[in-house]
Amino acid sequence: MPLAPSRTAGYNSPVPRVSQTIRVKVLFFGRLKELTGHGEDSVESANATTIEQLFALYAARHPELAKYRSSVVASRNQEFAAWDTPLRAGDEVAFLPPVSGG
Amino acid sequence: MATLPHDDVYQLVREAIDMSSLARHVRAPEDGAIVTFDGFVRNQSHNRATLYLDYEAYESMALAKMREIGDQLHEKYRIHRVAMVHRLGRLEIGETSVFIAVSAPHRAAAFDACRFAIDTLKRTVPIWKKEYFADGAVWADGEMPPAPAATPRAKPAS
Repeated sequence: MPLAPSRTAGYNSPVPRVSQTIRVKVLFFGRLKELTGHGEDSVESANATTIEQLFALYAARHPELAKYRSSVVASRNQEFAAWDTPLRAGDEVAFLPPVSGG
Repeated sequence: MATLPHDDVYQLVREAIDMSSLARHVRAPEDGAIVTFDGFVRNQSHNRATLYLDYEAYESMALAKMREIGDQLHEKYRIHRVAMVHRLGRLEIGETSVFIAVSAPHRAAAFDACRFAIDTLKRTVPIWKKEYFADGAVWADGEMPPAPAATPRAKPAS
């Protein structure tokens, strides 16, 4: 089936706004899940918020989290990611303690 | 059983791992060797008697990372098939938590690939175990997976 032209073309073109907010899914595992009290959350944040800023948001709510910052690795959409990675709408970010499978 | 281009198997399961069927799966007439790794629950940790372990995973990412390890195995070693299965949930002493089987025409590649697979899994696959003792529970010491460094920035003037 041929793709129909988008009906929204014209008024849905990406016009960047100054204070655009995005929704991202946030996951915690292992002891981080126990500390935050939930494994999965969904937050609204400013567009291009970094993973570091997202972690800081949760550390402000759960001060014990900050203690673990140096041993946490982050992922974005199931790939390990640098802490200064900017977030986009619909991203899935996870905070991972040192892994101990096997 | 879902199979990939190489007929490999990568799975997370919540029941006992059927090691013999996985070993049979990787075995083919053109092979000459299979090397398997059976990782199971030890009865002690740092001289404390373990009661049982509880494993959890970031399942979608764990499976993706296990497949990546498989891709690396096929690139690096002359092997035929890989089966890599990790169990999740509560495991009792002696139960298998991870099983890897690698087949190859010749044994050296199978040994090397199997060793690389378990070492890499333990470092990079997002799975965690909690150890339960008579007097409490702790998250096992783990390894920090290699993550990308921050985007390079201009050096601050000093």
